[in-house]
Order: sequence, then C-alpha cells, then structure tokens
Amino acid sequence: MFEAMIDPTARPAVTAPVVLAPRPAELAGLTVGLLTNTKKNAESFLDEVGALLAEEHGVAGLVRRKKLNIAQTAPAEMRDELVRACDVIVVGVGDCGSCSASAVADGLELEAAGVPAVVICSEAFVPTADAMADLKGAKGYDYARTPHPVAPLERAEVRARARRILPDLVGILTRASVAA
Amino acid sequence: MTDTALERDAARLEYARDAVEHAYDEGWTDGLPIVPVTAAMVEEFLAATPRPPDEVVAALPHLDRECTVEQAAVNAAMAGCRPEYFPVVLAAWDALMHQPSVTGGGWQSTSGPAPLIVVNGPVRAELGINSTGGVLGPGFRANATIARAVGLVVRNVLGIRPHELEQATQGLPGRWSLCVGENEEESPWEPLSAELGLPAGADAVSALLLRTCEFVDNRHTQDPEEVLWDFCDTIARTGAAIGRFSSAGLVLSVEHAQLLAGGGFAKADVQQWLHDHAVRSHADLERAGKGLDGLQAPGIDEYGLHMTPSPEQIPIIVAGARNAAMSMVVRPFGFSGWSRTAHPVRRG
Repeated sequence: MFEAMIDPTARPAVTAPVVLAPRPAELAGLTVGLLTNTKKNAESFLDEVGALLAEEHGVAGLVRRKKLNIAQTAPAEMRDELVRACDVIVVGVGDCGSCSASAVADGLELEAAGVPAVVICSEAFVPTADAMADLKGAKGYDYARTPHPVAPLERAEVRARARRILPDLVGILTRASVAA
Repeated sequence: MTDTALERDAARLEYARDAVEHAYDEGWTDGLPIVPVTAAMVEEFLAATPRPPDEVVAALPHLDRECTVEQAAVNAAMAGCRPEYFPVVLAAWDALMHQPSVTGGGWQSTSGPAPLIVVNGPVRAELGINSTGGVLGPGFRANATIARAVGLVVRNVLGIRPHELEQATQGLPGRWSLCVGENEEESPWEPLSAELGLPAGADAVSALLLRTCEFVDNRHTQDPEEVLWDFCDTIARTGAAIGRFSSAGLVLSVEHAQLLAGGGFAKADVQQWLHDHAVRSHADLERAGKGLDGLQAPGIDEYGLHMTPSPEQIPIIVAGARNAAMSMVVRPFGFSGWSRTAHPVRRG
C-alpha cells in the first residue's frame, strides 16, 4: 500500500555469519589471555578470574592486555598479540552501554581469528550485548553474565563474583558453542 | 465545496493517517508522528545541497554503519524539515562527527546525551531558526526538525534504538530537540563560529553532546562576580562530578552576557574565572562517596576538584530573550572533551 514511501532505515550490511573457534576439551596447560577495558573493577575482575583458572584448572600462563578506548574494539596489534600468544581469551567487563557492545565485538573478532573467547557482561547490558552479536552476524553468541553493578564493588566482592562466574566461563570456553 | 469533494478530502486524510501509522508499525519513528517521504521529496532535499548523494556524512566503524547524504535527506524529510534546512542538518553532522564522544559510542551511552546544535550567521534569519525567547523550548519548526533529523538518523540509519544498542539509563529531556541559533545581534561578544576560527558573518554550525542543563536565575545583582559565583555553585555540584572528567559550559542569557561584558569580562575572562573558581572540595566529594583517593591528575589539587578541564573547554554561547537574567549551565558529555570546531553551511 505504501510502496512509494521511502524506507528510512539502512540496509544492514550483509555480514557473513561468524564461525566460532574450535574449543579445547580442557584448559589445563593452556595460555589464557585477559583482555580488559578501563571500566572500574574490570582489571581486578579478570585478575581474579586468572588466579582461579591457574589454581583450579591448571592453566599454564596468563597474558594481560588493557584497551584504552572502551567503546571501540581492541586495536588490531593488541588483538594479534593475544591471538598469537593465547589458546583462549577472557574479555571484560561489559558494564556500560557502549563497552558491553564493544566487548562482544572483541570476542567475535577473536573467535574469527581462531581463538575461543568468552565475554563477561553485567546483566543490565544483556540487550545491548545481544544486539551487537546480532549486528555482527552471531545471533545467540553465548557470553557470561554477572549481576549488575560491578563498578562499586570492593575487592572481596569482586573475588566472589569471579568465583561464581567461573563455571560459566570454563563451560563457554570448552564446550562446542554455536552462534545461531 | 461539494459533498463529493469533502468525501474525497476525507479519504485522502485517512490515507495520510494510515501512512503515518505504517511508519510506526515499521519502527521508523522516535515516538512522534513522522512525515511520509516520497522519492520526489528526497530529490528536493538533495537539490538543496552541493554534496553528492552517496557521500558519507556519519559513520560508526564499531557498528559497521554509515549514513550517506541521501539517507540523511530521507530522515530529514521524515523529521519535518523543509528542504532548505538540509544543509544545516549536514553541517550539524560534520560538527558531530568531530566529537570524540560521538564516534566513540556516545549515542549508546548510559548518559543518554543530547546533541546541542548551535547555528551562527544569516542562515538563522533566512530559515527562521530561533535564537531569542524560548530558544531551548518548542515552537519553532527549524529548530525542532533540524535536531530531530539527527535523532532519526541515529535510530534509522545507525541502528541505535532504545533497549537495544542504546542504553540510556534515563536519557535527557530535550534529546533530539536541542538546536539553537546564537543571539549574535544582542551578544556583547563575537559569535561562537568566529571564536572557533570562521570568518565573521559565516553561516556555520557547531555541536557538542550534553548530559543535561540547569538554570541559574540571578536577577538580583549588577555585580558580575556575584553572578559568576552563582554560576559556580551550580557548576560545582557533586552530582555532576565524575572525577577529572567533569565539565561545564554556559548558555548565557543576553542580560547576563551584557552584565559580564559591561563589567569588563571578555568571553575568555569568563572562561578563566569559572575554571579557577568552580572547585569542589575533597571533603564534599568524600561526603558524597566520590572521594578521589589521593589521585594525582590535572584539575585536582589540594583544594579539590576543578569542575572544568580547562578554560577553553568551557563552551559559552549567548541565546535567549533579553527579558530576564537567567541562564543555563550545560554539562558537556565525553571524557575526550569538546572539539571546538565550527563547520560551514554549504548550500546548493
């Protein structure tokens, strides 16, 4: 009926579906990358995750990188370094409107480069994380969720969060995870 | 008019209503009705600019999204712009794309910031862009629809919608409605566009993102410093303090601007005075749970937190009626500051 009325929305770019990286059976002996942003507690959260992975899952080494622009994906050189040095990567913490979206985009770029990646987002930003996965051709991309908020937590609370989320992280990194 | 003509008219209006409802069903609107757009209308808009239809005017690389001149035209028409407003819309995008916060994800921010679009030059009178009474409020087609055209591009072309990629916690009253002309005729100082380096008399647009604004009503004194202290009290609120990334600016009423200028203050003097005096003490910040924990950083000293990053990062424009001495303290958004650029309006 309104075929003469112009559609004001962009034609979405044709995005090829992201193929997720093959998963290892377990993390023992592997090198884990920790990619953080500058959000308060992001670094300490991933430090706690790294410590637990070392203690309880026998990971062999940790490689830490911090991206300074929370809204953009990590710089290509930083991503390449992580891909070369790591067997799996943990990305986080998506705890704001633009950083949650870019954390998911980081995870998908790492997956596309062949390294399994798990993203940590706070539950308040599930809609934006899902929207970004959809936009990038990975609808249903599985990520780990932690209660909101993260920024005002004390270190002991951060440690407790890391402990709670650990089974999810390990599961996503080791089980065949498919983006629909 | 015959009954038949009346019936025909009614049928057309029903059709128009259905077209508006169709736009709602498709998710193309910001909540208010839009103007249905035809190919002929888009051609009229494109004829108003010398810029080619496929030129990219806005881009968000992290979302793989771009907006061309043609897509901006469609959305400007939908917003209710007249074709002759379109060059101002494009210049507003030029200005916005120079803001690090815009290209850095600002539209998705929990702050839900609003672009403040400032127009200088004769184009204000030609297009009916209000710069006087009620300048931040409703009632003026050019002001309302130019700002709305930006918002519709963000929604429809860049794909940033509430509850999806847009994550505003509350958002800002005035989002997608803040376009003002500077009241150059009654300002005691050079126009913003001239301060930013364009020739006097140029048609130009500047823009920045705001987190909010708050009025300062001071009709009480003729002493410039007393008025400045009143601004400082609002600028230095702990609620607005986010460490060394706090910021503030002024939309000055004509009376306040003239009072300050009459007291010997150039615009740069006002900026310097505010930067020096708008300080919140460490004790006050700590009481609000915002203590800086001994952080060493620019803008933090033994007295507390300077609420503006530098004098030149305090935008000051003059707008509104000369009928009362009240102004707005505005809160620029973004850790990387305001670009301080003005962009020419190029007409076809």
